[in-house]
Amino acid sequence: MNAFEWLGMLMRAAKTMVVLAGLGLALAGCATPPPASDPEGLAEFKQTNDPLEPANRVMYEVNTGLDTMILRPLAIGYTWAVPSFLRTRVHNVLSNLNSPVLLANDIMQTKPRRAGDTLMRFLINSTIGLGGMFDVADGWGYPYHDADFGETLALWGVSEGPYLFLPILGPGNPRDTSGYGVDIALDPLTWEPGGSVGWDIGYARYGATLVDTRAGLMGTLDKATEQALDPYATVRSLYRQHRQSEIDAVAADTRATTPAWYATPASH
Amino acid sequence: MDMLTRRTLLTATFASAALLAFAGLPRMGHAQAANAAAAFVDQTGKDLLAVVNGAGSAADKQARLRQIVDRAVDVDEVGRFCLGRFWRVATPEQQKQYLELFHQVLLKNISGKLGDYQGVTFAVGRALAKDGGVSVATVVTRPNSAPANVDWVVSTASGSPRIVDVVAEGTSLRLTQRSDYASYLSQHNSSVPALLDAMRQQLAQPG
Repeated sequence: MNAFEWLGMLMRAAKTMVVLAGLGLALAGCATPPPASDPEGLAEFKQTNDPLEPANRVMYEVNTGLDTMILRPLAIGYTWAVPSFLRTRVHNVLSNLNSPVLLANDIMQTKPRRAGDTLMRFLINSTIGLGGMFDVADGWGYPYHDADFGETLALWGVSEGPYLFLPILGPGNPRDTSGYGVDIALDPLTWEPGGSVGWDIGYARYGATLVDTRAGLMGTLDKATEQALDPYATVRSLYRQHRQSEIDAVAADTRATTPAWYATPASH
Repeated sequence: MDMLTRRTLLTATFASAALLAFAGLPRMGHAQAANAAAAFVDQTGKDLLAVVNGAGSAADKQARLRQIVDRAVDVDEVGRFCLGRFWRVATPEQQKQYLELFHQVLLKNISGKLGDYQGVTFAVGRALAKDGGVSVATVVTRPNSAPANVDWVVSTASGSPRIVDVVAEGTSLRLTQRSDYASYLSQHNSSVPALLDAMRQQLAQPG
């Protein structure tokens, strides 16, 4: 069995888990809000905005199981076997492949400077950066930023909706999770004609992205959940806060369309 | 002089006395407070890194860490914040036990991370006034990882500058801790003693 087949199998196993988790959702039902006699508890319940909490907790357990059995060992093995220099190259290539999606979102967010950064990064890093392995553009004044369709929807005024935890995809909400689907559709690399080789490459890329992301989260996420009394609630809080800060950062990026180095014509 | 005038006069006297006292206080301007907070964060960070990268046994480092935390962090204030609405539900005895446990858990969590801080550098950026305190931005760089934006919220409510929150990449440590405790309590019949027991168990775990 080669690595592609193996990853394909992994994905099929993951899909089965998602179906099982869906079953769990149907069985677990909804959270019961505190009675009206407890106004503070009720306010907290509304603020937490997690009406599917029992189902989400089942999904969280499923995901933790998948993580402990598959993803985390893979990430540990990857970190152990591959030197940091190479891991950074892999991370950069994967991140560069995502540039078309970033660019589309930058444009839909009507952030021309961010779109310019993404475009320049893609052009510079794909060529001089040897297929994205080296982030040359960062040193040239085009720093990396992330963008996704959930963020775009947020800037368009769509609210996040209730908290949603899905296996593999992790923490989210209707807005960000459907945004993730749109991002996949926006990705030119998913438009290829398919066939078994095409799918294998697609799976390999997603598999590699999962492992790369997990390896990157190794210290932070593990410490945070280890030190929590209720890891589920801690992840929920961390996700929401981090997401909001990302959205705030895009909204606050109001750099002028004309860069500082561009000579403005003398007024007369 | 009738009653009403006398009362008005008294009130006016008190008011002006209070105003005078207020104006006479050594009050700092916004810019000054921000600069002081930034200098405080810079010094505290340097102190912490001196312990992390310095020589000494683990126990020795832990003791020095405790000194820095006690001096630089308003642990009681953070603890009260993290218990949220349950602070008022707790009895004075439970409040006392809780703050003691909170203090120990905080120290344990920080000292558990000491190894991760090896080789860390940081740069202090701008400081901004923010809800009754000053938020000092820093960029923390760890070897082999991307630089992280960490904001330190400094309050001067207790007289001297004390840290009341750390916001790492947009996530507030005290908000996250509060939601952890709140969720634990909602899963355990809002029982404060259950939370205290869980905290004791946390302390008993090796690490």
